[in-house]
This record gives sequence, structure tokens and C-alpha cells, in this order.
Amino acid sequence: MHFDRESFLTAINANIQLTSQRNNSINKIKFPYNDLIVKLENVDTVYEGERIPTLHKVSMQVSKGELIFIVGPNGAGKTTILETICGILPISKGEVMVFGLSVKQEGPDIRKRIGYVIQGLEFEPNEPFLVKDVVMIGRSGLIGLGKRIKEADWEIVRASLQAVGMEDFWSRPIGKLSAGQHQKVMIANALAGEPELLLLDEPFANLDINARQEIYQLLLKLNQEAGVTILCVSHGSDIPKEVNRVVMLRQGKLVLDSNRITAVESKIYRAFVELSASEA
Amino acid sequence: MTQLFLLFANFQLQLIAKVVLGAVLAGMACSLIGVFVVHLKVTSIGFSMSHAAFAGAALGLLINSYINFDPIISATLFAIGVALLLGPISEKTRLNSNVVLGIIFALTLALGFIFLSFLPSGVVSSEAVQILWGSVFGLDTIDFLLLGIINIVIILVLIIFYKEFIATMFNKKVALAAGIRVNFFNFLILFLTALTVSFTLKIVGALLVYALIVNPTSTVYQFAYDTKKIFLFSPLVGIASAVGGVLLSFLVDFPVGSSIIIVSSTIFVISVIFSPKRKRRQKEKSLEFIKRENDEVAIEHLSPETNMGVAKE
Repeated sequence: MHFDRESFLTAINANIQLTSQRNNSINKIKFPYNDLIVKLENVDTVYEGERIPTLHKVSMQVSKGELIFIVGPNGAGKTTILETICGILPISKGEVMVFGLSVKQEGPDIRKRIGYVIQGLEFEPNEPFLVKDVVMIGRSGLIGLGKRIKEADWEIVRASLQAVGMEDFWSRPIGKLSAGQHQKVMIANALAGEPELLLLDEPFANLDINARQEIYQLLLKLNQEAGVTILCVSHGSDIPKEVNRVVMLRQGKLVLDSNRITAVESKIYRAFVELSASEA
Repeated sequence: MTQLFLLFANFQLQLIAKVVLGAVLAGMACSLIGVFVVHLKVTSIGFSMSHAAFAGAALGLLINSYINFDPIISATLFAIGVALLLGPISEKTRLNSNVVLGIIFALTLALGFIFLSFLPSGVVSSEAVQILWGSVFGLDTIDFLLLGIINIVIILVLIIFYKEFIATMFNKKVALAAGIRVNFFNFLILFLTALTVSFTLKIVGALLVYALIVNPTSTVYQFAYDTKKIFLFSPLVGIASAVGGVLLSFLVDFPVGSSIIIVSSTIFVISVIFSPKRKRRQKEKSLEFIKRENDEVAIEHLSPETNMGVAKE
């Protein structure tokens, strides 16, 4: 399924005129990929100052429109795989291609088309940033280097905040919000860039049950109606039924990659569930 | 006699205008750069850079005692050198950048004093003291021009790349994830800081320029939650500090750099006293403390020992 901008804007209730061009800087990028949106080949990622790779010989492919859950115990490399895909972490071996482009060479341009929700960001109470500005950061790359922010951009920021139920916090300082509200603002930040690929690192952390459900429904809508490809890291063992694929990492290695039903019935997954239950 | 008085008065007025203009330009440039330095929590970089500029200026004076040479050139090169070297040194040596900065700070200060010690006697008294403590009287047309240019460049760069700077200042990872070239903007900030430090060296002095960078933003920080407001009000506080400092130095005959820092530090202390942010934080802390105490009391009542005690009674 292809990314559909109109459906994306409808999903977040953005009330703007759909312009013919999504963005000049985006349109300049060629699209030499087919249905394969992410391709990792024998990837090793080593953190600076460490010798043992956090990811070791990981190979994986993601097609357009997939909804994938990445699970695994603590320290398995779940966050590392997301940061490797978007090129924040440099790889030491192998190759990462996203949208048919090499992350090593085209990192910033690729990231303009990705929304990444970072896990557990903390803010000081006196942090001098307003919620609207934080969300706009997620759109800054897409707007283009040195280009001015237009009214339509603010409209999408407003819609992104509305989509996560945070529109009333428009001019609030980010440091004054609770951990759950921070999480929602960072989800809005990722949505504001109209991403074709969403990388979510524990997006439901700090959210209450109702908020989890609302955010999950929103993500589902973006995936099913707008064709947004979603890779979601989850610490928990609950895999919703709509999930297409489950990928499991352990000690930096990919140990499971299959559809949801096969995955939840596998021995390795059940062992992980038991381990999670004993830790809880 | 009257003509002589008018001539003197005219000269005095011109001197005051020149001094005030220098202070306004220095205060504005330093405080605008200060917004980045304080936001990015790289205050130690500004500190090391001003001392590197001091070492460069001292070397420039030494060269100038043999051939005609402007110390601003070597000061700028030294300050930019710190900006260029910091990243690679931290990366290659795998040392914390604060450790590297601490070493650079001490090393450049030592180099500065070594260069000064080689100066022929007499030179050290005027120009070296000016570089260390600042003076508005030694500013020439080139200095004013450089101060004007750096202000224009900072403002233009800020207007053009405002959203990129906001992203870079907010969080490195979030900015990277949005597709911002964070390393480029970080270097741009360091480069502009190096130029600002070098160009304001003569007026504020190497040992004090850092305070004029940090104090105004830290003052506005006490009241504002909006980065846009911090960018608007920091230069005003910077200008007020610089002009107030110059006036103070006229009144009590202090070195101009020291006077500027006394004024800006006083404004900062007053702002901390009246800071609504600090008051709110204190209130929140005391509320947290009361809540924690209440929770502990509640837990104590619910604990098995207490229940047993109640049962026994």
C-alpha cells in the first residue's frame, strides 16, 4: 500500500487545502525503490567506545504499509535498530537502505520522510520551549533548509496536536507537562512531518489505558488508510491482532521474524513472554 | 576660551557617543550568541574560547612588536581553532568534552601569559591590559566595522535558519530525526561564537567577555518560557548591561570590562530574586515534600507492623 497524503491529512483531521506538491525538498528526491521501504543487510552497529556490536549481522526487509512490532528483552537492540534505520547511529558493517537510498549518504533527506518517536525524553521544568514549537521541529526538515514556516505548516502542527488530544496545550511550556503528555507531544512531533515511515520506540509508555487505546487507533488509521509504514518497539508482550509481523531481537541478533500468529505460537516468543511476566 | 570649551565638550560628546555605540554593538552580539550558548549548555565552550582568543591576541601583540599586525586576527584564529579542534579531539581521545575544554582553557591561558612575558617592556602596559580587561578608548574604525558586521551576520543567520536553530537547541536526537543537519548548525554556532568573542575582546576584555555572553540570556531565562522571547529580550539586557557598565566606568573610573560585568551580574542577581520560575519551582518542591510526607504517613498506617499494633491494642 502506498503512502497517501490526502488520507494522512484526513486521519489527523488537518483542515488544509491539499497543494499539488508536498514539499519542494521532498520532490527533488528520486524514488528508485519499489515496495521495499527498508532493507538491512548484515548490519553491525557498534556504540562509540564499545567493542561488542549492539546489533550483529541483522538482515531485515520492510515493505510499504506494513505494521511491525519489534519485541525483545531489555538490551536486545530494539532502540538501536530504529536508530540504525533512520541513520542516527552509524553502522560499522553492512548496508541500510531506506526508500531505496543509502542511509549513510542520504541520511538527512531520508529522515525528512520518517517520523521517529524517541523513548523516554525528559524535560526540565524550566525548559524554554512551547508545545507548538516542539511539534513544529518535527516538520522543520520537511519544510526545507532556510525556508519560512507558512500558515499551512502551523495548521498541520495544530492537527497533529489535535490528533493526540493535546490541542489545548498549544502555548504551554513543554517542561510543565506530565510524562504522558510529553509522550503525546512527541507523537505529534513525529506526525507533523507527514511521515511515510513511522518509527515508534515504546510509544505507549507513560500513557493511561484510554490514551493508549486512542493513540493505537490513530496509528492504525494512519497505517490502514494512509499507508504509513509503522515499526513499533514494544517492551510488553501484548501484540494487537492488526499487527502484520513480529520481529524479535535478543542480544543484538534477530531471532524471530514472522507473521503475528506464527510468532505468538513460537517457542522463543513464549519464552520471552514468560521472562517478561517473571520480571513484572 | 569659549571656543576651547566647546571644542572640549564636542570632543567629550563624540567620545561618549563612540563608547556607547561600541557598548551597544558588543552587548547585542554577545547576548545574541549567549542564547545559543546557554540553550545548548555549552557555556564551558564560550569560556575556553574567550581564553583562546586571549592567547591569540597576546601572540598578536608579540608579533605586532616586530611587524605591523592586528592582534584581532590571531585572536580570531585561536578562537576558531578551539571550535574546530574540540569535536575531533573529544572523538579521537574518547574524552568527555568538558575534560578537553578544561585542558584547552588552562593551556590557552598559560600560552597567553607566556606570550605576554615575551613582549618588550612598555607594550604590555597598554595594549595587553586592554585585551585582558577591555577598554573602549582603543577602539578604531575597523573594530566598529567588525562589531557591526558580526551583529548583522548573527541576525541574518538567525532569521534565515531560525527553525533549524530551534531544533538544534531543543534536542540533538529530535533534530536529527527531523532531518536537520545538526553538526553543521552546531559548528555554525561555535564559529559565530568564536568571531563574537574575538571582535568584542578589545571592549570587554578576554577574561570577562564570557560573562557578557552568559549573563543576559540567563537573566531573561528567569522570566521566559518562549525561545522567541529569549531571543528578543536577551539583546536588550545585553545592551543595557554594556551601556550601564560604560557609564559606571566613567563615573567611578573602573575598567570598562569589569564595570559591564558588575552591571550584568547585578541585573542577573535581581532577576533571580524576582524570578517567577524559581518561585514556582520552590512552591512545587515544597508541595512535593508535603505530598511525600503525607504518603509516608499513609504507608505507615497501612504497614503490617502498625496494623498488628492496632490489633494488639
